[in-house]
Amino acid sequence: MLEVKDLHVSVDGKKILKGLNLTINAGEVHAIMGPNGAGKSTLSNVIAGRDGYEITSGSITYKNDDLLEMSPEERAWAGVFLAFQYPVEIPGVNNTYLLKAGVNAKRKHQGLEELDAFDFMQTVKEKAKLVELDPSFLSRSVNEGFSGGEKKRNEIFQMAVLEPSLALLDETDSGLDIDALRIVAGGVNKLRSPDRAMVMITHYQRLLDYIEPDFVHVLADGMIQKTGDKSLALELEEHGYDWVKENK
Amino acid sequence: MSVIEQTRQDALNLFEKLGLPTLRDEDWKYTDASRLKDLLQPTPIDENIHIKDMGINGLDAYRMVFINGMFAEAESDLPEGVSILSLAELEKNSVGEDAKGIAKLFTVDTQAPLMNGFNAYNAAKASDGSVIILADNAILTKPLYILHISNQSNVVRHSFMIGQHAQAEIIEHFISAGDNKALSNSCSFVALKAEAHLEHSRIQQEGDKQSHVARVQVKQCKGSSYTFHGVELGAALSRTDLVVNLHGEGASCDLNGLFVLGGRQHADHHTRIDHKAPHCTSRELYRTVLDGRSHGVFNGKVMVHEGAVKTDSNMSNGNILLSKHAEIDTKPELEIYNDDVKCAHGATIGQLDDKQLFYLRSRGISAEAAQELLTFAFADEVLVAMSNQTVRSYVEKAAFAKLPHGDNLEEMLGS
Ligand SMILES: Nc1ncnc2c1ncn2[C@@H]1O[C@H](COP(=O)(O)OP(=O)(O)OP(=O)(O)O)[C@@H](O)[C@H]1O
Ligand SMILES: [Mg+2]
Repeated sequence: MLEVKDLHVSVDGKKILKGLNLTINAGEVHAIMGPNGAGKSTLSNVIAGRDGYEITSGSITYKNDDLLEMSPEERAWAGVFLAFQYPVEIPGVNNTYLLKAGVNAKRKHQGLEELDAFDFMQTVKEKAKLVELDPSFLSRSVNEGFSGGEKKRNEIFQMAVLEPSLALLDETDSGLDIDALRIVAGGVNKLRSPDRAMVMITHYQRLLDYIEPDFVHVLADGMIQKTGDKSLALELEEHGYDWVKENK
Repeated sequence: MSVIEQTRQDALNLFEKLGLPTLRDEDWKYTDASRLKDLLQPTPIDENIHIKDMGINGLDAYRMVFINGMFAEAESDLPEGVSILSLAELEKNSVGEDAKGIAKLFTVDTQAPLMNGFNAYNAAKASDGSVIILADNAILTKPLYILHISNQSNVVRHSFMIGQHAQAEIIEHFISAGDNKALSNSCSFVALKAEAHLEHSRIQQEGDKQSHVARVQVKQCKGSSYTFHGVELGAALSRTDLVVNLHGEGASCDLNGLFVLGGRQHADHHTRIDHKAPHCTSRELYRTVLDGRSHGVFNGKVMVHEGAVKTDSNMSNGNILLSKHAEIDTKPELEIYNDDVKCAHGATIGQLDDKQLFYLRSRGISAEAAQELLTFAFADEVLVAMSNQTVRSYVEKAAFAKLPHGDNLEEMLGS
């Protein structure tokens, strides 16, 4: 589904990703771990299409298309979704309007009829239940005045409504309390499916107890340094990132 | 000469002395009034105006219609038992002591801030207007909708006097019939007695060849509250002077302004709030969205006088320029003559927020639509303070329509 090849990315002349390779197939769940500042969010932002990053070489292919040629909205229509590490507040833009506009833009692009208002609301309510999001959040401005944990929960709720093929969750677990983590992870698990891939960026092994990954990668110094299964996360927890560098 | 005629003659003399403001006047340095000279003279005729279906549809309100500055009684619907009168009628029919009272409505207060030649001319030449007197404790059960329709130059003069503990909502709406070149010269004087409350909207939506010059002057007694919504959508050139005198202890005002301009439109609001008594609150929020080669001017001055302790004043002005040829001149000013105050003011000029744009696009909203959505949300925050939802959605739609691709936006937001 996604193939990142020898990706080099700089920001303001500073090299951040230095030859990163990553292959993700449908149905798989990948976890990416790594020290602060390693470039994890940079990678997810570049995949989602945020500008301000200079891609000096390499390629990203998504479902046989050159992802780097696509605008952020085209990527969203093609099924790419990023749950932001720091979701932005948008005063005056209603949470439900945003989703309705997003869903209908995608449907229009796919040549489908727009959803009628009633059906859309049914879906929205159902998905809100999935992540136990209080319905009052639906009519509020996007993330405005939400607590840190509420913003994260709202990201997963949006993912549930938009039904992406490739979901990138950037530290969705950070800031969630213990119950919220369980609920959100439960929601994510329900969204796992053979034709959907997920990439979870996290600092905590704990998340992987709830959402079991097929692969765990360590991103450091701008490259994937090591790839393993779930047990790699446990080893990291025990030995820290220096151990990875010593045991490449 | 009657006392009223004399007062109006004095106003005319004053006008002749003052003349029109020029670019050399500090308060008019961005707005060229000289080109309005030939348009001053009102032409109070009502031919060729078909007012059917004009104005805000579905608004449940009392209604007062002015056509080219003259009260059109047949088109109006006024409540019983409340004194809502035509200024011209009053002028014609009053004698003796009554006439002295009416004459006062034409007096020009030369000491008032931002006084200018247009205001003197208004007193001299107003064709008509309203005189609204709400008794103590009275509550106007429905809003009063004052619709001004024009295709000629017109001069109107309103006085709203709201009694103690009385409450009202007044909506002034200005539209054009046809696309004549004409000038509307409008003054509204507001007096709020103790604990009175008025919500006052002015929606200027005149044709793109018209010009509009207005003065809104408010005097507030103890504990009264005044909410203003000034919306500038129409006219080639518009200028409003909004002058609020917080005269009694604990009075509060809430001033909201929104300009949505395009083409070569020019809109200028000069606001002045005088905190003269203790414990008064003023809040002011102005936002402009400027496209094309349009030009916005905002000058907001708050003056906190010596005895006005515990003043709480907050002013903010935000501006979005959608085109590189659009222009804003903004100047929030604060003058404080005592220490015991809490004041904040600021202005921002900018483009839309990149992070917000990316967030929306990452959810599948096109770049264009995301820009419109954010622009609209920015503007709409000013309208949140509008308690009348029918008026608010009317203004929202009219503002939508002025944004590029506004129809997409409306579809996108649905209902
Ligand atoms: N816009 C920017 N301008 C300058 N430096 C940037 C910018 N964006 C990212 N960086 C730098 O790039 C590096 C990688 O940042 P990134 O956010 O990708 O790290 P991360 O792996 O997600 O870290 P964390 O675990 O703390 O979230 C950091 O050193 C960061 O300071
Ligand atoms: Mg990060």
